[in-house]
Amino acid sequence: MSAQPVKPLTVIVGEGTCGIAAGAKEVFNTFRTLVPDAEMKTVGCVGMCHQEVMVEIIDGRGDAFLYGKVDKKNIPSILGFHQGRGELLSDHLIRSGTQMDGADYLTRQTRIVLRNVGRIDPKSLEEYRKRDGYRAIEKILKDNISPEKVIDEIRTAGIRGRGGAGFPTAVKWNFARSAEGEEKYLICNGDEGDPGAFMDRSLLEGDPHSVLEGMLIAAYAIGASRGYAYIRAEYPLAVEHFGKAIEDAREAGLLGKNILGYSFDFDVKIKQGAGAFVCGEETALIASIEGNRGMPRIRPPFPAIKGLFGKPTIINNVETLANLPWIIENSGAAYAGIGTEQSRGTKVFALAGTVKRGGLVEVPMGMTIRQVLYDIGGGSSTGRPIKAVQLGGPSGGCIPESLFDTPIEYEALNATGAIMGSGGMVVMDAKSCMVDIARYFLEFTQIESCGKCTFCRIGTLRMKELLTRICDGEGTMDDIDTLEEVAYQVKASSLCGLGQTAPNPVLTTLKYFRDEYVAHVEKKRCPAGVCKGLITHTIMPESCTGCSICERYCPVDAITGIVKKPESWVIDKKLCINCGMCVEVCNSDAIRVE
Amino acid sequence: MEQNSLVAAVDKALVKKWIAENGSDASAAVPLLQAVQNEYGYLPREAMDIIVSETDISASQLFGVATFYSQFRLDPVGRHVIKVCHGTACHVSGADRLNTALRQSLGITEEEEDTASNGSYTIEDVACIGCCSLAPVMVIGEETFGNLKGADAQRSLKKHARQHGEFLPGHEEKKGEADATQKKAPDKKKKEVRQ
Repeated sequence: MSAQPVKPLTVIVGEGTCGIAAGAKEVFNTFRTLVPDAEMKTVGCVGMCHQEVMVEIIDGRGDAFLYGKVDKKNIPSILGFHQGRGELLSDHLIRSGTQMDGADYLTRQTRIVLRNVGRIDPKSLEEYRKRDGYRAIEKILKDNISPEKVIDEIRTAGIRGRGGAGFPTAVKWNFARSAEGEEKYLICNGDEGDPGAFMDRSLLEGDPHSVLEGMLIAAYAIGASRGYAYIRAEYPLAVEHFGKAIEDAREAGLLGKNILGYSFDFDVKIKQGAGAFVCGEETALIASIEGNRGMPRIRPPFPAIKGLFGKPTIINNVETLANLPWIIENSGAAYAGIGTEQSRGTKVFALAGTVKRGGLVEVPMGMTIRQVLYDIGGGSSTGRPIKAVQLGGPSGGCIPESLFDTPIEYEALNATGAIMGSGGMVVMDAKSCMVDIARYFLEFTQIESCGKCTFCRIGTLRMKELLTRICDGEGTMDDIDTLEEVAYQVKASSLCGLGQTAPNPVLTTLKYFRDEYVAHVEKKRCPAGVCKGLITHTIMPESCTGCSICERYCPVDAITGIVKKPESWVIDKKLCINCGMCVEVCNSDAIRVE
Repeated sequence: MEQNSLVAAVDKALVKKWIAENGSDASAAVPLLQAVQNEYGYLPREAMDIIVSETDISASQLFGVATFYSQFRLDPVGRHVIKVCHGTACHVSGADRLNTALRQSLGITEEEEDTASNGSYTIEDVACIGCCSLAPVMVIGEETFGNLKGADAQRSLKKHARQHGEFLPGHEEKKGEADATQKKAPDKKKKEVRQ
């Protein structure tokens, strides 16, 4: 036997929601069984979702090795190397020591918001403190920095709301600061409803204390003594971790009366959302906390003047809040040095879709979309070129390849017809139909429309109907014109942000991919092969092996034939629902979609 | 349908306990309904009546809230709920196909139905669950499954059923056989806990 390392191994497993989904719990348990003396730790998601499950091993000498795509089967090989028998499993190694292999992904990012995510145990207050946690609020209280000075610092930083609209945070705070009334509220908006965005989930799960410290700073600045964290019920792990953070902070004297011994009181309560996209809108969110249907109201009065229970209220997004401790510690000027003139700092994006390296990425403002997609994301994952990228979810739009050199800035993105949004970035190739994407988002906003104002309630429904007709091959050229007109009307006349931005997916796809709409209408053809009403599935006997697997999986029994007789296999077009199950299961690529 | 067997028997003391915990003013409406649904999987009429009579929340407000938020449902659910994610990334990677495949496995044919006839599973479409890089994704109980094709979803469902002593409709006749595997399942679960 070779000499064993003196110190036992430390095994750190990434257990964010995506890590767990990829099997992190099983990996954790396997390590624990195989190396019972190892120190086991769990951290949040480092953001390299394409590499899940991720495991970091620190050996007896203190050298760190980060592995990706770990599963039960390759654990013995990984361990073999660290226990002095066997080769390094280099295929799965992302990084060792200071060496980064294929990890441009991380080096090209600027991590401020995500500074701790994936590096600390989110359930440990101690670990957050070791990384300078709660130093910012301590500094404010100890040096007796006035709330006005804190607001000034945030103004110098130039940070704008990260929830999507990009309103300057300091300006908003000032309204509440100068609003009359003893009692004020601070709300953390964690109702991340955009399909395709998950940075708030990752932050609440992976570094809850930084969000909580951000809340303390904001509460101090505006003079609030009570706060709420409104978190989506769909994020149980985020609720659990944030709840633990609140308890631990309270116990450590960081929440409650006389925080850290100074005359500053603040406490936080979690309110779980109940699944309503519109509750991301400030006044709807307030209605929801008050126990009502989450319907927005006309502003003014703005919540900063008259908000929760009629009191001055500031609502800040999770990501905005997580920036604050860094700004106070490193100065507003340091933050303003990152990014561009109009858009300071960094932005976190949830990169997903047909891209090689998906996950959470934090980039300095001003980086181009192309750099994010290719330099960090590694380009297309399918071999087919990237056609478009969807930014901002149901409120955003599709940006075509020709505009990929647009810098990531609030104004520049608005000019394309999309928006910065909360940070969803879904990459699409030629197999994604732009009309279908527009229909998908309108279906979403139509369901989520609260129904209070007519333009949104009826307008989104009409748009959805027109899009469905076009997708089904029953649309006319007049329908396209009507669609465009309704879209402009809804945008101009809706009460809140939901309705005002709901037409964006339609308007951007009409602007950049009108040819696809025309193909659906005039040629009755879906160029991407997606729209079920316009495609057919056919078995090609020259490729078919007659294995009958498609027959077994067809949900409507539309496929018949004799085993091992390729020419006998046919799909009954009358029965076929074009679900595509047969295409997925076919081993010989023998089903043609057109 | 054996839906009737799924109707929950409401424990009045439990509902009163939640009221004591969450308060009885208007702002308690959402947390109270969440507590009820966590326990019973849906909002039984009886539980809502108790809330209305024991708190300051009016019936119109409570039902208004219950029907506004997509999380709440007024009909009983199966013993397990399958959440199929329909976020953007899942949509473009074929989330619809998961629904087709799961409905096939569960023998659900009527468009408005979402629960298997034997009360085992309910399919629920959800907006984004935030695992976009693993799209398409579904969640059964607490377990998340990613990178699924239609056939994978069916396999995962079968495996889940086996582990939890459930039968997919049309497979009840194999009950004896499945009972044998069911005996194994609790052992496995215990082992996991011990680890």
